[in-house]
Amino acid sequence: MKRRDFLGGVGAVGTAGILSTPALLTSASRALAQGNDIPVGLLFSLTGAVAVVESTLHDAALMAIEEINAAGGIHGRQLRPIIEDPASDPATYADRARRLMIRDKCVSVFGSYTSASRQAVLPVTEQRKNLYWYPTLYEGRECSRNVMYGGAVPNQQQDELIPWAIENFGPRFYMIGNNYVYPKEENNYCKTLLSEYGGEVVHEEYVPLGHSDFSSVINRIRSEQPDVIFATVVGDSDVAFARQYHAAELDPAKMPVVSLTRSEVEVKAIGGEAAAGHFSSAPYFMGHDTPENEKFVEAYKSRYGADQVTHFVSEAAYFQVYQFKAALEKLDPANITPETIRDAAVGLTLNAPQGEILIDENLHTHLWPKIGQWQTNGQAEVLVESTERIAPKPYAAYDGQTCTGEGLVKA
Amino acid sequence: MDVIANQLFAGLSMASIMLMIALGLAIIYGAMGVINLAHGEFVMLGAYATWALQTYAGLGILPALPLVFVAVGAVGWVIEKVVVQNLYHRPLDTILATWGIGIILQQAVRLGVGAESRFVKGPELLSGNTEIGPLIMSNYRLFVIFFSIAVLWGSWLLMTRTEFGMKLRAIIQNRSISECYGIESKRVYSITFAYGAGLAGIAGALITPLFSTIPTMGTGLVVDAFLVVIVGGLGSLIGAATASVLIGEATALFSMIMNDTLGRIAVLAGIILLIRFRPRGLFPTETRR
Amino acid sequence: MTSRFHYDLVALVIFTVVIVFGVPALMNYDGFELNTFARYLALAIVSMALALSWGTAGLLNLGQAATFGMGSYAMAMHLKLRASNGLPDFMGWNNVPELPLIWMPFESLAFTLLAGLLIPAFVGGLIAIFMFRARIAGVFVAIITLAFLVAFQLLVIDQQGLTGGQNGLTGLAQLSLPGWTVDPYSMGFYYLVAGCLAVALAVGVYLTHSKFGLVLRAIREDADRTRFFGYNVATYQTAVFCISAALAGWAGMLYTMVLEFASPTYMGVSFSLAIVIWCAVGGRESVIAAAFGAIIVNMLEGRLSDVFVEGWHLMLGVIFVLVVMFMPRGIYGLLSELAAKLRRAGRQGNAASIDPSSKTQLETGQEQ
Repeated sequence: MKRRDFLGGVGAVGTAGILSTPALLTSASRALAQGNDIPVGLLFSLTGAVAVVESTLHDAALMAIEEINAAGGIHGRQLRPIIEDPASDPATYADRARRLMIRDKCVSVFGSYTSASRQAVLPVTEQRKNLYWYPTLYEGRECSRNVMYGGAVPNQQQDELIPWAIENFGPRFYMIGNNYVYPKEENNYCKTLLSEYGGEVVHEEYVPLGHSDFSSVINRIRSEQPDVIFATVVGDSDVAFARQYHAAELDPAKMPVVSLTRSEVEVKAIGGEAAAGHFSSAPYFMGHDTPENEKFVEAYKSRYGADQVTHFVSEAAYFQVYQFKAALEKLDPANITPETIRDAAVGLTLNAPQGEILIDENLHTHLWPKIGQWQTNGQAEVLVESTERIAPKPYAAYDGQTCTGEGLVKA
Repeated sequence: MDVIANQLFAGLSMASIMLMIALGLAIIYGAMGVINLAHGEFVMLGAYATWALQTYAGLGILPALPLVFVAVGAVGWVIEKVVVQNLYHRPLDTILATWGIGIILQQAVRLGVGAESRFVKGPELLSGNTEIGPLIMSNYRLFVIFFSIAVLWGSWLLMTRTEFGMKLRAIIQNRSISECYGIESKRVYSITFAYGAGLAGIAGALITPLFSTIPTMGTGLVVDAFLVVIVGGLGSLIGAATASVLIGEATALFSMIMNDTLGRIAVLAGIILLIRFRPRGLFPTETRR
Repeated sequence: MTSRFHYDLVALVIFTVVIVFGVPALMNYDGFELNTFARYLALAIVSMALALSWGTAGLLNLGQAATFGMGSYAMAMHLKLRASNGLPDFMGWNNVPELPLIWMPFESLAFTLLAGLLIPAFVGGLIAIFMFRARIAGVFVAIITLAFLVAFQLLVIDQQGLTGGQNGLTGLAQLSLPGWTVDPYSMGFYYLVAGCLAVALAVGVYLTHSKFGLVLRAIREDADRTRFFGYNVATYQTAVFCISAALAGWAGMLYTMVLEFASPTYMGVSFSLAIVIWCAVGGRESVIAAAFGAIIVNMLEGRLSDVFVEGWHLMLGVIFVLVVMFMPRGIYGLLSELAAKLRRAGRQGNAASIDPSSKTQLETGQEQ
């Protein structure tokens, strides 16, 4: 390379840098619409690995927002959804959350499915004292004052499930989960329940996220002959697991898979035939019979297609927007900040598709756990329905620690 | 003993799936030296084509196979014509270009079909198990094993017993001299690429009853397939077969002794060592480039 | 030292001035916007580190994300210990009774900073010795480093008690240097990252123009001939691998500070390939161009995803394919060809001959 070449190249690179920067950054200083609407962020991955689930959450939340707007908004003000795609990447979650909370001045952000993405968003949310509405069931042991937890924590999913499973199938549990914090934590809690009710763990194993060949696991299950397969396998892994379990002709009547994570979305991909006979524990199933649910399912199907399904996370993504609305309605329109919304939300009750739910002072939600058995049509038949609303105890497995309205309290 | 026998079968089953995916890759890599990172997406396209045929035309997986082969082969042919053909003299750059193509295919499917996981019904004919003593083998997995052997054999015949195969081998030996003899290397390359893509499509169709069909399903598969090809040796079909059996069995046995995660790490370590000491693979072919 | 070196120095100065003075002014000294930009700058370091090994020495390291991750986790371990009294919270969740031995030295900031550079360098060195002693080259380097990356990421995710598993290390403290607590949204932090990038680039420019860089280029063009000249090829390759790994570790440390968490996502295959893409878009032959590539691609990503929520991935894919097909040497190559053409056009009156040296350069560049 000749020297002048190089200089020319470098000069041009420098100029290009200077010239292109403002063009690329204009959005940064985009004037905020100081209009009458209320900006809310939607932070669900539309691309990448978790888009499979998060796109349904996005759809449900967006539907709720548009329903509210169609009904006249809140205090006559429309909700303005600002949609970001974090592309299943933690850094992008943090980055987009920052944009929503700082640049777009959203008073709340609805978002995400995985624990990893929630934790990526957490530093920004807490620093900016914003409010993050997280619809997913999760492992508990978190007590942020800036997150509204709409999903179940371990005690809500397992307290009824474990004694029921021991009684109906037997005490020998085989634990299979993906290798991350949620399955390990659920299994920790399950073990304390097992020792209480006289159950035992015959084998506990974890496969990498996205693992797709379960022949070794199935061989092990076959040789151990447990009574219950306690599964916390998520997403595609669960689909692969269920299909291979079925292909291996293991009988759900003798060795049922009892899952905390399998919902209508997974079952649709698994196929009703392979899923039939197995169980899930969740606060919501699509076939649940309430007027609110009928309305929700009908609206969802007519909007996104008759073959679409609702499930226990998309239900929460949907009702959380309504919780947000109810909180805002309690407030003086001049005084809407994330913190006032949070304080107004505590103690709110709402008729959600699953039943009447309540926001605890620890910002988790009181829910109606159910145990459903999957049918060949891809729907669950609810066998056990909890007789009362169950309070969330995010630190249930840890003595002396409770999550309260003041944050975490250690005895 | 029962456990070991069953585990050996599991390894063989994994090997057959890996072989189906790696075969197309081995052919493309062996013939053109192209590192096709979009190969996983060809597998994904095959899976989606199967889903579409089943949902909209009511075709089962087995009758859909030839159609899937042709459809994905056609996509591969177009991609070869438009992009890959211009990059044969820059093999490392094909990594980047095919990665870009992979992103495009993935997003196109996501935008066109949706992000959700799709359901494909397995063939009724092949449900159930075959039991030989303590050995319990899923019929479908058995079928995939035999099918992959058949495809391997077919590809071998194509390479060694047909005029097309002879031309291809001539080009691999020496492209410019072959052209002097009137072989249209461009055309042979296009067809080879399309054939490799079509095989990936068939692999995609075959794994749908066992795995989850989503737009990102190919990304995880391509790395493994690549390791199989490299371990097997440049473009050697027998090498790819041996390597997939080795890797499949090693994965199964390690995961029995340890667990699936550590098993995979151990296999990867083994592969690294193997490449270090036999960089040209288990079955190197003599070529002049 | 040649005068080419002087031109690189000029480029370095312009680049540094732009990122230190230009960018903050453009962003109105807004701490939050600058935090986003600081992220790009940290990524620019890892991209230029790859340009050292790939562009200069022809060793395509697809495991760059692993060494990046080591730096990132080293810093995160230190900040995690600072944030927790006693045992970090996630260890309690994983039933780890007491602080593991390998966590203990990370109490010390000095050790952490050293470890963030030296551990990646050491591991990179081990892999390099392992490969280059056997004269592994070309695509096999890519495959071995890729396999290592996959294994390493699996291991990190598997060892949840030590690493936080899939969720990574979160809930970190802010780095406190003597007399300064580093707030990632402050101007000071931006200047820290920008300064690090400038220093890293200076090191890179110096190395590529030293005799060391010359030998590396010779190895890239023909390893055997270089060997016949009496150079120990493996040693040179190992050295550049170590330096590249250390720079990647450095970038990782900064990245953790920007994001306030460390995640195994950044030890993944896609991230590693993304680094390669930034480097290729900018131009692998120049460390400055590679850094610029990382910044421009990341900005483009941010911008495209803003405007086209649904289709931006598709566009990104199309852009990559177009870049590889029509700009094989990246932005750098495009611009220098343009400059060469202009110069030739301007000189046509004087001499009709085509400049042979620039032609050779073009061809060799394309063979990479």
